[in-house]
Amino acid sequence: MSPFNLAVTALLAAGVACEVLCALGVLVMRGPFQKLHYASAGTTVGAFFIGLAIVARETLHAGGAVEVSAGGLEVLAAVCFMFLLGPAVTILTARTARRLEHEPVEITPAELERGS
Amino acid sequence: MNVYLIAATALIAAIAPCLVVCARGSVMEAIAALELCGTLTTLALICLAEGFHRQAYFGVALVCSVLVWIGGLVFVRFAGRLK
Repeated sequence: MSPFNLAVTALLAAGVACEVLCALGVLVMRGPFQKLHYASAGTTVGAFFIGLAIVARETLHAGGAVEVSAGGLEVLAAVCFMFLLGPAVTILTARTARRLEHEPVEITPAELERGS
Repeated sequence: MNVYLIAATALIAAIAPCLVVCARGSVMEAIAALELCGTLTTLALICLAEGFHRQAYFGVALVCSVLVWIGGLVFVRFAGRLK
Protein backbone atom coordinates (compact mmCIF):
# COMPACT_ATOMS: atom_id res chain seq x y z
CA MET A 1 0.00 0.00 0.00
CA SER A 2 1.44 3.39 -1.02
CA PRO A 3 1.86 6.20 1.56
CA PHE A 4 -0.92 8.14 -0.18
CA ASN A 5 -3.37 5.25 0.08
CA LEU A 6 -2.31 4.73 3.68
CA ALA A 7 -3.00 8.39 4.50
CA VAL A 8 -6.41 8.25 2.80
CA THR A 9 -7.31 5.06 4.67
CA ALA A 10 -6.18 6.61 7.97
CA LEU A 11 -8.34 9.70 7.36
CA LEU A 12 -11.30 7.49 6.46
CA ALA A 13 -10.83 5.35 9.57
CA ALA A 14 -10.55 8.45 11.77
CA GLY A 15 -13.77 9.84 10.29
CA VAL A 16 -15.69 6.60 10.72
CA ALA A 17 -14.39 6.23 14.29
CA CYS A 18 -15.61 9.77 15.06
CA GLU A 19 -19.03 9.01 13.62
CA VAL A 20 -19.40 5.75 15.55
CA LEU A 21 -18.29 7.51 18.75
CA CYS A 22 -20.84 10.27 18.14
CA ALA A 23 -23.62 7.74 17.53
CA LEU A 24 -22.76 5.99 20.80
CA GLY A 25 -22.63 9.37 22.54
CA VAL A 26 -26.12 10.21 21.29
CA LEU A 27 -27.30 6.85 22.65
CA VAL A 28 -25.63 7.08 26.06
CA MET A 29 -25.89 10.75 27.03
CA ARG A 30 -28.94 12.05 28.87
CA GLY A 31 -31.03 15.00 27.75
CA PRO A 32 -31.30 16.78 24.40
CA PHE A 33 -28.48 19.25 25.05
CA GLN A 34 -25.85 16.60 25.77
CA LYS A 35 -27.04 14.55 22.81
CA LEU A 36 -26.81 17.64 20.59
CA HIS A 37 -23.11 17.98 21.42
CA TYR A 38 -22.44 14.58 19.91
CA ALA A 39 -24.81 15.07 16.96
CA SER A 40 -23.06 18.35 16.13
CA ALA A 41 -19.61 16.76 16.40
CA GLY A 42 -20.76 14.07 13.97
CA THR A 43 -21.80 16.76 11.50
CA THR A 44 -18.44 18.55 11.65
CA VAL A 45 -15.45 16.46 12.80
CA GLY A 46 -16.30 13.09 11.26
CA ALA A 47 -17.63 14.64 8.06
CA PHE A 48 -14.43 16.70 7.72
CA PHE A 49 -12.16 13.64 7.93
CA ILE A 50 -14.26 11.50 5.57
CA GLY A 51 -14.71 14.37 3.11
CA LEU A 52 -10.98 15.10 3.14
CA ALA A 53 -10.21 11.44 2.45
CA ILE A 54 -12.63 11.16 -0.49
CA VAL A 55 -11.71 14.55 -2.01
CA ALA A 56 -8.01 13.65 -1.80
CA ARG A 57 -8.75 10.29 -3.41
CA GLU A 58 -10.74 11.92 -6.21
CA THR A 59 -8.40 14.82 -7.00
CA LEU A 60 -4.83 13.70 -6.24
CA HIS A 61 -3.22 11.10 -8.47
CA ALA A 62 0.09 9.28 -8.78
CA GLY A 63 3.11 11.54 -9.18
CA GLY A 64 1.42 14.44 -7.40
CA ALA A 65 -0.87 15.32 -10.32
CA VAL A 66 -4.02 17.22 -9.34
CA GLU A 67 -7.11 16.62 -11.44
CA VAL A 68 -10.34 18.23 -10.28
CA SER A 69 -13.25 15.93 -11.10
CA ALA A 70 -16.99 16.46 -10.90
CA GLY A 71 -17.22 13.78 -8.23
CA GLY A 72 -14.60 15.49 -6.09
CA LEU A 73 -16.43 18.81 -6.37
CA GLU A 74 -19.75 17.22 -5.44
CA VAL A 75 -18.24 15.58 -2.36
CA LEU A 76 -16.59 18.89 -1.42
CA ALA A 77 -19.93 20.69 -1.81
CA ALA A 78 -21.81 18.09 0.26
CA VAL A 79 -19.26 18.11 3.09
CA CYS A 80 -18.96 21.93 3.10
CA PHE A 81 -22.76 22.15 3.23
CA MET A 82 -22.88 19.87 6.27
CA PHE A 83 -19.86 21.46 7.94
CA LEU A 84 -20.97 25.08 7.54
CA LEU A 85 -24.76 24.88 7.80
CA GLY A 86 -25.15 21.91 10.19
CA PRO A 87 -24.41 24.06 13.27
CA ALA A 88 -27.32 26.35 12.30
CA VAL A 89 -29.77 23.46 12.75
CA THR A 90 -28.02 22.48 15.99
CA ILE A 91 -28.42 26.01 17.41
CA LEU A 92 -32.07 26.12 16.34
CA THR A 93 -32.69 22.70 17.93
CA ALA A 94 -31.04 23.80 21.18
CA ARG A 95 -33.09 27.01 21.30
CA THR A 96 -36.31 25.05 20.69
CA ALA A 97 -35.42 22.48 23.36
CA ARG A 98 -34.63 25.29 25.76
CA ARG A 99 -37.97 26.98 25.02
CA LEU A 100 -39.85 23.71 25.56
CA GLU A 101 -38.12 23.03 28.88
CA HIS A 102 -38.03 26.60 30.24
CA GLU A 103 -40.37 29.13 28.71
CA PRO A 104 -37.93 32.04 28.14
CA VAL A 105 -34.77 31.45 26.10
CA GLU A 106 -32.86 34.10 28.07
CA ILE A 107 -30.60 33.16 30.99
CA THR A 108 -32.45 33.11 34.31
CA PRO A 109 -30.95 34.88 37.38
CA ALA A 110 -30.47 31.49 39.09
CA GLU A 111 -28.46 30.17 36.13
CA LEU A 112 -26.42 33.36 36.02
CA GLU A 113 -25.68 32.95 39.71
CA ARG A 114 -24.37 29.40 39.40
CA GLY A 115 -22.56 30.05 36.08
CA SER A 116 -24.17 27.37 33.88
CA MET B 1 -14.86 -5.41 -0.61
CA ASN B 2 -12.65 -2.32 -0.28
CA VAL B 3 -12.09 0.12 2.59
CA TYR B 4 -14.81 2.47 1.35
CA LEU B 5 -17.47 -0.24 1.43
CA ILE B 6 -16.30 -1.29 4.91
CA ALA B 7 -16.52 2.36 6.01
CA ALA B 8 -20.03 2.63 4.52
CA THR B 9 -21.09 -0.53 6.37
CA ALA B 10 -19.79 0.88 9.67
CA LEU B 11 -21.58 4.18 9.05
CA ILE B 12 -24.86 2.42 8.27
CA ALA B 13 -24.45 0.30 11.41
CA ALA B 14 -23.93 3.51 13.42
CA ILE B 15 -27.48 4.55 12.48
CA ALA B 16 -28.86 1.82 14.79
CA PRO B 17 -28.10 3.64 18.10
CA CYS B 18 -29.74 6.77 16.66
CA LEU B 19 -32.87 4.79 15.78
CA VAL B 20 -33.04 3.52 19.37
CA VAL B 21 -32.97 7.12 20.62
CA CYS B 22 -35.62 8.10 18.05
CA ALA B 23 -37.88 5.31 19.30
CA ARG B 24 -37.35 5.72 23.06
CA GLY B 25 -36.28 9.32 23.69
CA SER B 26 -38.21 12.58 24.05
CA VAL B 27 -39.11 14.65 20.99
CA MET B 28 -36.03 16.89 21.15
CA GLU B 29 -33.74 13.93 21.84
CA ALA B 30 -35.22 12.18 18.81
CA ILE B 31 -34.62 15.24 16.63
CA ALA B 32 -30.98 15.39 17.75
CA ALA B 33 -30.59 11.71 16.85
CA LEU B 34 -32.37 12.28 13.54
CA GLU B 35 -29.87 15.02 12.61
CA LEU B 36 -27.01 12.60 13.17
CA CYS B 37 -28.89 9.94 11.15
CA GLY B 38 -28.97 12.33 8.19
CA THR B 39 -25.24 13.02 8.45
CA LEU B 40 -24.46 9.30 8.68
CA THR B 41 -26.65 8.57 5.65
CA THR B 42 -24.95 11.27 3.56
CA LEU B 43 -21.47 10.06 4.49
CA ALA B 44 -22.45 6.44 3.84
CA LEU B 45 -23.71 7.42 0.35
CA ILE B 46 -20.39 9.17 -0.35
CA CYS B 47 -18.43 6.09 0.74
CA LEU B 48 -20.68 3.77 -1.30
CA ALA B 49 -20.19 5.91 -4.43
CA GLU B 50 -16.42 5.80 -3.98
CA GLY B 51 -16.48 2.11 -3.13
CA PHE B 52 -18.43 1.21 -6.27
CA HIS B 53 -16.35 3.62 -8.44
CA ARG B 54 -19.49 5.42 -9.64
CA GLN B 55 -18.92 9.19 -9.74
CA ALA B 56 -22.53 9.83 -10.71
CA TYR B 57 -23.65 8.57 -7.30
CA PHE B 58 -21.93 11.49 -5.56
CA GLY B 59 -24.84 13.63 -6.73
CA VAL B 60 -27.19 11.53 -4.60
CA ALA B 61 -25.09 12.32 -1.51
CA LEU B 62 -25.10 16.03 -2.37
CA VAL B 63 -28.89 16.09 -2.71
CA CYS B 64 -29.21 14.06 0.50
CA SER B 65 -27.10 16.56 2.47
CA VAL B 66 -29.31 19.46 1.35
CA LEU B 67 -32.58 17.60 2.04
CA VAL B 68 -31.39 16.45 5.47
CA TRP B 69 -30.61 20.04 6.41
CA ILE B 70 -33.99 21.29 5.21
CA GLY B 71 -35.73 18.38 6.94
CA GLY B 72 -33.98 19.22 10.20
CA LEU B 73 -35.17 22.80 10.01
CA VAL B 74 -38.76 21.71 9.34
CA PHE B 75 -38.80 19.18 12.20
CA VAL B 76 -37.42 21.74 14.66
CA ARG B 77 -39.88 24.37 13.44
CA PHE B 78 -42.89 22.14 14.09
CA ALA B 79 -41.48 20.66 17.31
CA GLY B 80 -41.44 24.20 18.70
CA ARG B 81 -45.25 24.24 18.49
CA LEU B 82 -45.67 21.19 20.73
CA LYS B 83 -45.91 23.09 23.99
